[in-house]
Amino acid sequence: MRLAAGGAAAVVIAAAAIWLPVPRRGAPAPWSAAAAAERAERELPALGVLWGKVRGWERVGAGWTVSWQPTHGMWLVRAWVPDAPRAVRWRIEAASWLPGVRLTMRAARALVEADGGLAQERDRLGRRDWLVGGAALLGALPAGRELPVHPTPRRPWLEAVLVGLLVAGAAARHLVPGTPSRGWRHAVSWSGVCLIALTPWLAALARPVFRTGVRPWVAELAFGTAATVVLGALLFGARRFPAIAGSAPAAWLPAALGAGVLMGRLEPAEWLVSVAGLTLRLPALAAAAVIGGWVVALASDGLRELLRPVGASRRLVLAAVGVGAVAAAGPWIAVAVAIVLAAAFERGRGTWITTAVVSGWVVGSLLALVEWEAALRDAFVLLVAASAVAAVAALARTGAAVEAAES
Amino acid sequence: MFRLSYVLRVAVAVVVAIAGVAMVRGRGVGGEARASSVARTTMEKLGYRPLGDPTAVFEGDQELAWALERARPGPSGVGLARGEGGALRWRVVFPGGGEVQVTVDGLVWSLRRPVPSAPGPDLFPSLARARVEAAVAAAVTDPAEWHLVRAQSWREGGHTWERAWYVGGAGPLPSGWRRELELEMAGSTVVSWRRSVHPLGTDLGVVTGRMAELRTLRRPAMLGLAILVIGVLVAGAEAVAYRESLAPVRGIAYGLVTAFAGSFAADTLTSAPVQGVVLALVVAVLPVWTELPTSRLHLGAAAGVALAGVTIAGRAIILGMGGWAPVTSPVPADMSAGRLLAESWAPALVEEPLLRGALPALAAPVVGWWGAALLAAPIGALLHPVPSVPVLASIGLELVLQAGLAVVARYAGIGGAVLARGTCEALVRRASFPAGTEWDRFALLGVAVGTVLLLWPRRRE
Repeated sequence: MRLAAGGAAAVVIAAAAIWLPVPRRGAPAPWSAAAAAERAERELPALGVLWGKVRGWERVGAGWTVSWQPTHGMWLVRAWVPDAPRAVRWRIEAASWLPGVRLTMRAARALVEADGGLAQERDRLGRRDWLVGGAALLGALPAGRELPVHPTPRRPWLEAVLVGLLVAGAAARHLVPGTPSRGWRHAVSWSGVCLIALTPWLAALARPVFRTGVRPWVAELAFGTAATVVLGALLFGARRFPAIAGSAPAAWLPAALGAGVLMGRLEPAEWLVSVAGLTLRLPALAAAAVIGGWVVALASDGLRELLRPVGASRRLVLAAVGVGAVAAAGPWIAVAVAIVLAAAFERGRGTWITTAVVSGWVVGSLLALVEWEAALRDAFVLLVAASAVAAVAALARTGAAVEAAES
Repeated sequence: MFRLSYVLRVAVAVVVAIAGVAMVRGRGVGGEARASSVARTTMEKLGYRPLGDPTAVFEGDQELAWALERARPGPSGVGLARGEGGALRWRVVFPGGGEVQVTVDGLVWSLRRPVPSAPGPDLFPSLARARVEAAVAAAVTDPAEWHLVRAQSWREGGHTWERAWYVGGAGPLPSGWRRELELEMAGSTVVSWRRSVHPLGTDLGVVTGRMAELRTLRRPAMLGLAILVIGVLVAGAEAVAYRESLAPVRGIAYGLVTAFAGSFAADTLTSAPVQGVVLALVVAVLPVWTELPTSRLHLGAAAGVALAGVTIAGRAIILGMGGWAPVTSPVPADMSAGRLLAESWAPALVEEPLLRGALPALAAPVVGWWGAALLAAPIGALLHPVPSVPVLASIGLELVLQAGLAVVARYAGIGGAVLARGTCEALVRRASFPAGTEWDRFALLGVAVGTVLLLWPRRRE
């Protein structure tokens, strides 16, 4: 009964966070990267070369930029597939040392936007040029249109504050040690192992790593190595600066989850739309939420210790920091809210709160960014799983309270 | 017992010295003296007597040399890189004017002499062609293979100038390659010619592609080092907070030496000060990690000689198994003793304290010392591999070297690992620099230090 009540509370609050009207920030992606790749393969000319497999993708503006590369890596085909029924833009780049690469007649014609009826192409072998009607297409490769690029607005001061809080949190956990939580250590460790196991698929998100002249398996190996190094460092951090043991704040977890969903819908994490394009998105998202929760909890420990000197007025200061964070954090809003919220609780409960907020943030971001069925289904599965954890936490807390009363 | 151990040390010192000398003897880029003599002779044949003793500077086209070796495996590819391929050359400059590029095997690759005040009568095109063909016949070994593709003539400075472009097909080069020659005459005097080689794209691509791939693989290793430095920073902060004993003076001295060495190395001019600061911090923090093995420098050089032997043999094994590894050593940016010392010792000074000191110390509580050493090996293996086919062969070879250094660090400490790595790098890189005993001396610096340390009588314990 308690379990159902806890789960129902989480679901109700999450549902409220989902249905609450918020201003939309751009149109969500109507289909996945795989579907965009299929469309590009269907609509674009063959370009005279074997495209190879789809290697990576990225959400850019109102469309997907997809990359193809053959196994030998000598060339790279990229296409930007808009969501609207407009022409697909493409670009092909070849290794500088590769001789004799040139576009097919059809590709050249498509590039100079001549219709098929002219048929006055002349192949100038020495120059590798095409003369199509009155237009000359000089040179061979790279060829195609400039593709739109994704602007990456950075907030260096926010990043610096986050790094500072992380260092402060690490110092706090080391200098003022508590009882390490075995459960959280296992959760973070297994999440890291899960992400390391998923690196062959996650490489698709590292589109810039695929370059002409570099074979795709080497690029994937480089990405996998880098990911393993970073995740290994995180796992090491999780053991060295473990989450402190403490009971879950069962009453607050649904609220934290709902706040996360709301933040995600307000300021979605745009990189998550690329993750949603993966086939194995659910384990990747769940593992990212757990690891993200631990990292944010570390930062919140730093904030808590930094505010310790203010004493009784800590909650007031935290409220002011929270308001400031919501106003200024922009896309970091969920992280900022999670840090401030967790800092308001005692240390043993912070990781529960941050993980709930981050999980909700992931779900809310997906709800705001994607429209295709499979990704939405997995977002709801993640939400249900998080609600189930909140319900189990409520049950465990009730059971512990009963046991304490009986003893 | 003590006497027996000293006798053993003397025996090891002798073996190390002999092995070290054997590794550098006869290695290095030769042909400097011959290049000067060939340059002078060629100039004199053209009717110009160069004045003064020339200076010779080694120049190399790295990708071209390795592409030739890859396209024609075995000694013939190496021979092409040193000769008809023109990948490895001496630039001979005469102080009184005149400059000749001569390949390591003694082939004149390009030539430029001062324009004489009276270069002879201007020639009609038909006469000029015969004269140019005669000059081309003198410039190449197989004139029948060469044919004129374009000619040009113009008036300048009161003389008629002729310029001709010849193409020589592949000749002894691999199929699909092309040789070209451009020759200039003022009046009736040949004043310059220059040869060039156009490689087949795919042959060149194998090499440049592998180099690009290795650059890509280097990034995660650099990321690993960056994370390691963050770990050292945190450890340093903890040490200060807990008032643990540090070694700031030793750290600053080591950082200064590292920055000084790094400033001479090829690609570290801007990063040398940063490396110096980081290494100063690492060495200052080292006393905190009391579980690290004690340094035994006298073992370092012996281990370095052994590792150099493994590296040189490893490349031969890759070639023997049908793969490809470059025989021609990487061409340094400039030829100087400082460069040889810096390229050999800067990686040792920078990487060993991090990979064999900081990383095992930080990770040992979680994965144990050997586990941490195994973590360091792949990071180190991705930092400096040379291209090979398959690309994993050279990474595997570097992995063996890194594993060897981990063993050295376990028994000889970080100091021993630094000495081993520096000695090994110097012996392996010796082949990139000119032949000669003075260069051998610089390459044998680590061996000499190791030998002295081995022979140094220690107190009876």
